[in-house]
Amino acid sequence: MRGIARGMRRRPAKYSAAALAWRGLKGDSWPRVWRDTELKRSYDAVVIGGGVHGLATAYYLARNHSMTNVAVLDKAYLGSGASGRNTAIVRANYLTPEGVAFYDRSLQLYNSMALDLNINVMFSERGHLTLAHSDAALRTMHWRAEVNKLQGVNSSVIGPEEIKKVASSLDTSDHPRYPILGALYHPPGGIVRHDAVVWGYARAADHMGVEMHQKTEVLDILCEGGEGADGKGAGGRVTGVRTNRGDISTPIVINCTAGWAGLISAMAGVRLPITTHPLQAAVTEPVKVFLPTVVVSGSLHVYISQTDRGELVFGAAVDAVANYSIRGSLEFTEELAGHVLELMPSVSRMRLLRQWSGLCDMTPDYSPVMGFTPVDGFLVDVGWGTYGFKAAPVSGEQIAEAAATGRTPELIAPFALSRFETGELVGEKGAAAVGH
Amino acid sequence: MTMSRLEVQPTEVIDRSTTRRFRWNGKRFSGFEGDTIASALAAAGEHVFSRSMKYHRPRGILTADYWDPSLLVQVGDDPNVRAGHRLLEAGMDVQAQNVWPSLRHDIKAANGLVSRFLTAGFYYKTFMRPQKLWPAYERVLATFAPGGKVDPDTPHRYHDKRYTHPDVVVAGAGPAGIEAALAAAAAGARVLLVEHEHAVGGHLRYSSQEPDRAALAELRAALDASDVEVLTDSTVTGRYEDNWLGIVQRNHPIAVERLIKARAKVLVVAPGLIERPYVFSGNDRPGVITSGAARRLINLWGVKPGERAVVFTANSDGDAAAADLDRVGVEVAAVIDGRDGRRISAAQGSSKALEAVLSGGTRTEADLLVVAAGWTAPTSLLNMAGDRPVYDPAAARFFPSDPPGNVLATGGLAGDGGLDELRAHGTTTGKLAAERAAAVAHRYQARTARALPVTGDEPAWAADLRVPLRRNHHPELYRSDTHGMIDLSEDVGSKDLVAAAREGYDSVELAKRYTTATMGSAQGKLETVNTVAAIAEARGETIAQVGTTVWRPPYAPLTLGALAGRVFEPVRVSSIHPWHEANGVRTILAGQWIRPDHYGDPAAEVRNVRANVGLIDVTPLGKLDLRGPDIPNLLNLLYTNKWSKLPVGKVRYGMMCAEDGVVLDDGVTGRLGEDHYLMTTTSSGAGGVWEWVENWLQTERPHWQVHVTPVTTAYSSINVAGPKSRELVSRVAEGVDLSPEAFKYMEVRTATVAGVTGCFMWRIGFTGELSFELHVPAGHGMHVWEALMEAGADLGVGPFGLEGQRIMRLEKGHFIVGQDTDGLTLGPSTGLGPLIKLDKDDFAGMPELAWAADRKLPMIVAIQPDDPNVVPEEAAQIVRGDTNEILGRITSSRMSPTLGRAICLGQVEPELAAGGTKVTVLLVSGQRISATVMDHHAHFDPDGERLRG
Amino acid sequence: MLLVPCPNCGPRNSADLRYGGESHARPDPATAAPLQWRGYLYLRDNPAGWLRETWYCRSGCRRWFTLERNTATNEFRDPPMPGDKRGGKA
Repeated sequence: MRGIARGMRRRPAKYSAAALAWRGLKGDSWPRVWRDTELKRSYDAVVIGGGVHGLATAYYLARNHSMTNVAVLDKAYLGSGASGRNTAIVRANYLTPEGVAFYDRSLQLYNSMALDLNINVMFSERGHLTLAHSDAALRTMHWRAEVNKLQGVNSSVIGPEEIKKVASSLDTSDHPRYPILGALYHPPGGIVRHDAVVWGYARAADHMGVEMHQKTEVLDILCEGGEGADGKGAGGRVTGVRTNRGDISTPIVINCTAGWAGLISAMAGVRLPITTHPLQAAVTEPVKVFLPTVVVSGSLHVYISQTDRGELVFGAAVDAVANYSIRGSLEFTEELAGHVLELMPSVSRMRLLRQWSGLCDMTPDYSPVMGFTPVDGFLVDVGWGTYGFKAAPVSGEQIAEAAATGRTPELIAPFALSRFETGELVGEKGAAAVGH
Repeated sequence: MTMSRLEVQPTEVIDRSTTRRFRWNGKRFSGFEGDTIASALAAAGEHVFSRSMKYHRPRGILTADYWDPSLLVQVGDDPNVRAGHRLLEAGMDVQAQNVWPSLRHDIKAANGLVSRFLTAGFYYKTFMRPQKLWPAYERVLATFAPGGKVDPDTPHRYHDKRYTHPDVVVAGAGPAGIEAALAAAAAGARVLLVEHEHAVGGHLRYSSQEPDRAALAELRAALDASDVEVLTDSTVTGRYEDNWLGIVQRNHPIAVERLIKARAKVLVVAPGLIERPYVFSGNDRPGVITSGAARRLINLWGVKPGERAVVFTANSDGDAAAADLDRVGVEVAAVIDGRDGRRISAAQGSSKALEAVLSGGTRTEADLLVVAAGWTAPTSLLNMAGDRPVYDPAAARFFPSDPPGNVLATGGLAGDGGLDELRAHGTTTGKLAAERAAAVAHRYQARTARALPVTGDEPAWAADLRVPLRRNHHPELYRSDTHGMIDLSEDVGSKDLVAAAREGYDSVELAKRYTTATMGSAQGKLETVNTVAAIAEARGETIAQVGTTVWRPPYAPLTLGALAGRVFEPVRVSSIHPWHEANGVRTILAGQWIRPDHYGDPAAEVRNVRANVGLIDVTPLGKLDLRGPDIPNLLNLLYTNKWSKLPVGKVRYGMMCAEDGVVLDDGVTGRLGEDHYLMTTTSSGAGGVWEWVENWLQTERPHWQVHVTPVTTAYSSINVAGPKSRELVSRVAEGVDLSPEAFKYMEVRTATVAGVTGCFMWRIGFTGELSFELHVPAGHGMHVWEALMEAGADLGVGPFGLEGQRIMRLEKGHFIVGQDTDGLTLGPSTGLGPLIKLDKDDFAGMPELAWAADRKLPMIVAIQPDDPNVVPEEAAQIVRGDTNEILGRITSSRMSPTLGRAICLGQVEPELAAGGTKVTVLLVSGQRISATVMDHHAHFDPDGERLRG
Repeated sequence: MLLVPCPNCGPRNSADLRYGGESHARPDPATAAPLQWRGYLYLRDNPAGWLRETWYCRSGCRRWFTLERNTATNEFRDPPMPGDKRGGKA
């Protein structure tokens, strides 16, 4: 609000084919996507984590709630964490009604994102196949399809012949070790250019006055009145954050980190039901485009899509061992390749070009932890496991609403931290173990 | 440029007596044994090998090796083959990639005309409206995907893997690497030397100078005489935790590519240096090549790279190239010495008549522009080991910083120096590696309780006393006074990077993501430092300030086939499986097991069991043999019910819950003797329950005396079910009184069956019929099965499969863990609340189950559709009336052959759980039907009279 | 591939073992309050640093044991050897 008052709202340099041509002809360069500003001593809200979740939260705080005196802090560069390391798959075909409603809203926001943010995020609505290799898996696919339909989400179970029509490179014969018995087909699913989502939110938030501060590491969260040391913990409230660039006072701190969610929350004296595990991914060299859809196999722990650049992008389940090291492993690529070839033998001569990993905060029920905590003014949007990217728009929208209004929106009520005190967990675990 | 074959060169690796014929874009060509695809084509005068990704500019040889971004071709069904590296084979069908319609006339080259609009990241700024057209735009963009084609009929060829445990692995067989290998081997280490190229020797191979050739001969002879294992055409692709190395061997005689996994005690990194392109206008034109490419073409393959050359040199490699060119009769029109501050500004003209433009404007005509602008240190393996190499502006490249002690760098990566200095550094590195490897070996053995005791103390960790290699001064030649191409794979120029940095994508990682520089096939080997330099320039900072990107594995791309290897996905079958196969079985995959689903007509199998007698092979049933005095304590702890008073000869059912109260497994356990029990688990839970039991015994109750042995596959398990089962079993069993009075329901006996001693049998009733479950030593499973079949022929005995069993258990209302329960189903939801004994001292999940007693939980109930002929699908949802509110779901459903009606189990909200409640089931078709919740889980024989008979 | 120092079998590839996760004491089920019990079930310290954790040597000695590992560097602290006074129950 102060940002607007001070005239910080900027005239955006609009992206369009015409503008591209005009600047191309004139040889003009484009203005900076977001400003580099001094870190102020006080903000109305501080968002920790400059990934898709943090940036979306800041964007919606400004857009929907006119809160523009907001800083997004990132210890590295924007999108340096899981936002730029995920496999960019979006879908809404979850198992529980609360999960489906939530991710369906996210998918809607992804659908209109290019126009909302004026950046082409290249949402490729190419359909999403979750393969079933056993009767038990097929039963779960049916279950998901039925729940999806009741929520108005387009999902259905299809057989091998139809699967072959959607993705001809899949081996639908009955001889593999893991025969493809059927699949959950979800036409609205697809892939998005994840970096563009990061940049788009940052640019749009910047235009409304939000500040993005890179290389700004949060060292502590300042609290008062809490039952723990230094006024932290239950019953207390947030007064500010300490960064490597000095202290900031703020009444609202929103933890939008992945990989470090537990460590950041501990700074406010809040313990989380989270363990941190690496999630690995890999990409092949490009070949001419042949795979038109996203293919997932839960039993084989693999998901596959082909980018418009021709690369196959692979992901898997999180590593079993809790870890903050993201160096990647050879065994991951071995198992991955074995499983990919089980599904698509014809890609055996494609070469793996690069592997990487990111950190995932896993919760006991494979659902996030969102909303208020026992520390007043400290909100969390964490525990995103392997499905954070899909949820970024809706999470930002809902957490911003919670922070601005002080009330928990209905859509995220099932994901409250308090469920781990009452034992009433969310039932996504069965379907989401590797459900990309 | 005009390339041609020279007269025989003393250093050449081709065998001119052996001609290899092949095809290039459909036309016939030939080369010699020892040629690469590119050298054979170059010798035949070809000079355009590919078109660039975005602008479809013609591209020729740049580096003439594995990393050459312009030499990716399709060979048969093998896409993206490195023509600068892959050896020519007779009959190869080689095609240019990324061309349309042909290499010579590429229509998309028109993109070059509009390149000012196609700046990096242009696609983020357009194609947004109308939104409906984006899929069409996307399809067009996708046609720009570079690379070869996947042939849909490509088979997964033969691949293999090898494990090895060398003391020292040396990555790179240049002079320093060879010396390191030799010195380590001389010190007693087991050494594996891995060379990326087709032969050892590094840069000595393509040197025509006499001292280099003599040294090469000497090193080769020494290697031959040593115990060092040498792998050529092989690459250390990754260094992972604790020196776990991936090595890809491309020249294995049988495997297409072989993955070698090595646990090296010490890794010596000696990959040498990679020559870096120079960025100036037109630097990607055919005819602009690196000095290394010129020397390789001349000295390895006897190819004259052009007729008239301009040489830009900033180092001895460039000087050597000029000398080589001159020696083989290429007219060296000008030598431009970068050390004197002279620069090349542009390469203009066509590839046949190239013009080199100097920064002063001087033009020289040539058909070849040879550039020696410096090197990139391929520090990938060091990065993977956690090192963060440091930039040295004086030497214009990165150097190792502080790698872990079991990773040592030598050779060009570590510094400069003459050949003797490099060799000496290699030797001391090899010695150090061997000493440290010995210390690691000692530690491994000392920490293995069951290994032979080690003698002596652990050797001290040898200090690194190597004299560092000196660093030669080298001018920083990244970009000249003009802009040019930085990433040839991705068509990213220095202008793109500068523009990206100005837009705010001004860290290496952001710029890389925005422009895609360094993300192509060369993995940054050629372009990373130039990329960093461009960003540094745009930011007005130094390269050291900007830093570099993290090199990620693999060092060189490797095929998915090599990574996958041979597919080892074991399946399990019971010892009776051959009988099933001979008798028309339809199998079903259940975890690792292949099990009989049915033999043609599951409903008939059910009717036969209900009327006569049937056999089912239930071998996958998890079985744990328990021995020891504390078993009752263990069972009390694991199961929700009580076990203290189970007499010998009795069997009891138990349900296991996890600590959160969620149903984990179930099964029966029988007491075979005073301190001897047999526990059964679900088939899928067998492995997990065993670990669960061991965990409790070892960590929470280590003082208890119980010994657990998994015996799932030690016994073949056969359930004999049906009213005539007693008659049938009595015909084959000896030493046991089968009368209902002597052998009651839920009892266990030891018996001899069909002459097989040591069998257990118990009376249980998953099917709801009188039944005897036999556990027979697995080697005799088939014999007993056949004996039963033979003995029961007149009783109407027949086999039944999993499907029949599932129908019958559903008729009886028995739930299946994991089908009728899910990841949140608490114990009381199963309807087995009475089996949860909260008055015990302790058992797994007890507090949660105690609190659950006060909660309203979803319940598992039996449901019957009011229309008996409609079978709701498993997963059909139970909803509130006409609304979409979900109140439960059908978890199991079948048409009952016994009752002639549809029957179900389902989970419903507590308010619907009472018998007689009407519910609405939404079928998959969308139709809503009415159904009734039953009083009992059992649809059939709820009092269990049949099974107690 | 992590090299896990099994106290019995010596250094083994992590693929030979099952990871048991953060090691934590089980509250007395007779007296545990819901918050305490659910803390045991769900809450984790999850440090980026030294972590006491359990492993199961499934392909070797079939022992559950406890080790200390640095989750940021994957370094293990010297495990207690069998019979070592520091050892005892995991």
